[in-house]
Amino acid sequence: MSGAVVLHNLINTAQGVVDAVLLLVAILAIFQVLLLKLPTDYVINLLKGTLLSVGGLILFLVGVQIGFLPYGQAIGEALGNFPHKWLAIPFGFLLGLVTTWSEPAVRILCDQVEEASAGAIRKRTVLHATCVGVAFFVALGTARVVYSIPILYILIPGYALAIVMLWFTKKDFIGVAFDAGGVATGPMANTFLLGLGLGLASAAGSQSMVIYGLGLVALIALAPIISVMMLGIIMRIRIRYRGVIS
Amino acid sequence: MRNLLKGTTFEVLRAIAPLIAVVIILQFTFVKASAGTFIQFLVGSVLAIAGMIFFLLGIEVGILPAGRAVGAGLVERRSLWLMVAVAFLVGFSATIGEPDVLVLSKQAHVTTGGAVPEDGLVYIIGIGLAFFVTMAMMRIVFGVRIAYLLTASYLIVIILSFFTPPEFVPLAFDSGSVTTGALTAPIVLALGIGLSSVLAGKSAISDGFGLIGIASIGPIIAVMILGMILS
Repeated sequence: MSGAVVLHNLINTAQGVVDAVLLLVAILAIFQVLLLKLPTDYVINLLKGTLLSVGGLILFLVGVQIGFLPYGQAIGEALGNFPHKWLAIPFGFLLGLVTTWSEPAVRILCDQVEEASAGAIRKRTVLHATCVGVAFFVALGTARVVYSIPILYILIPGYALAIVMLWFTKKDFIGVAFDAGGVATGPMANTFLLGLGLGLASAAGSQSMVIYGLGLVALIALAPIISVMMLGIIMRIRIRYRGVIS
Repeated sequence: MRNLLKGTTFEVLRAIAPLIAVVIILQFTFVKASAGTFIQFLVGSVLAIAGMIFFLLGIEVGILPAGRAVGAGLVERRSLWLMVAVAFLVGFSATIGEPDVLVLSKQAHVTTGGAVPEDGLVYIIGIGLAFFVTMAMMRIVFGVRIAYLLTASYLIVIILSFFTPPEFVPLAFDSGSVTTGALTAPIVLALGIGLSSVLAGKSAISDGFGLIGIASIGPIIAVMILGMILS
């Protein structure tokens, strides 16, 4: 990647982040003046924190863009050139696991779940369920590219399954599950795993490289919805079982 | 603050370490990418680790409390219209600023040979998301079961996918996924928890969550409708 491209990406990234945050700050300011009237010290601390997160996010996104996207692509191409194509599938599982493990927004969600449930739902539990779910679906996505399976054959039954599970899982887990689907497709997945999908598709000589590479992101969004609701179903069965014993 | 910094640093290192370890092992066994790509990866990792530490710290002391204060303030005001306006505005603006959405729109413009207008797609995704964030907030206020809303929305998605031109279907699903990026997610999350923690009779855990998940359905439906109109 050339210096000019990096710089261009950096400016785009920074601008998007600043735009999104400015709006929150503006709304907060209006609320503060008209309604909230929080102590000034407290508001200044909030702004300092916001500034810190903006700087941090830009730094993080730049690091991910210059480092992870090209390497993900290199891994995808290497896997695509394996003599035994199916070998790419377990690698997809492993990479899906470690990528989601490192996704910042997933961590934030899991922290918030533990806090909001007053510790009843542990953050580790949600984190593990999310990571394992994504790992399975990245493996599935890899298989899809290797064997050229149309994405709808996975997405439609997947979402149909999600709708059915909605009615059997523990109520507390529904919102969390769908939120986990949203946060799992964060910057790590969108660069590292997207790079992987693109590299794999180009090594497989696929004509529609973009379509195959991109479809992976949609699968990653579906994965935690199913795995976290599965967790909710297991919890519900366990509670009922315990109720019978006591 | 010092303890928080220490804890966050430790957590970030534990989060990213497995990914870096796997890449290093792959580099020396199967992948053997060029030295340049590998060094770029290592430099990128250092930046990403430092950035993630600052980001998570800032979220904890800035964004989350701010979002919660706004969410709680909305309830105090007891004006439904104000709530709708703020939810719509936050959803729309956060989305059109999200870097991933801009990238996706550019790609869609190129792959469809210009059939999809680049700016138009960004706004359509933004409107779709804003509409569903607003609906998700109304759900919390009126106490509609989340299962009803999700079932109806996804049934619509599945039905629409059979009538949408095939080249638009993957694009639609991807639009849904990319909208909830690293920044939008905590902002929307904080708003929802703030709202549900102040409303009487709402539980933060079963009512506060789900906003991000419901929000990401909006762009899917919006892009599918766009595809049907364009063809």
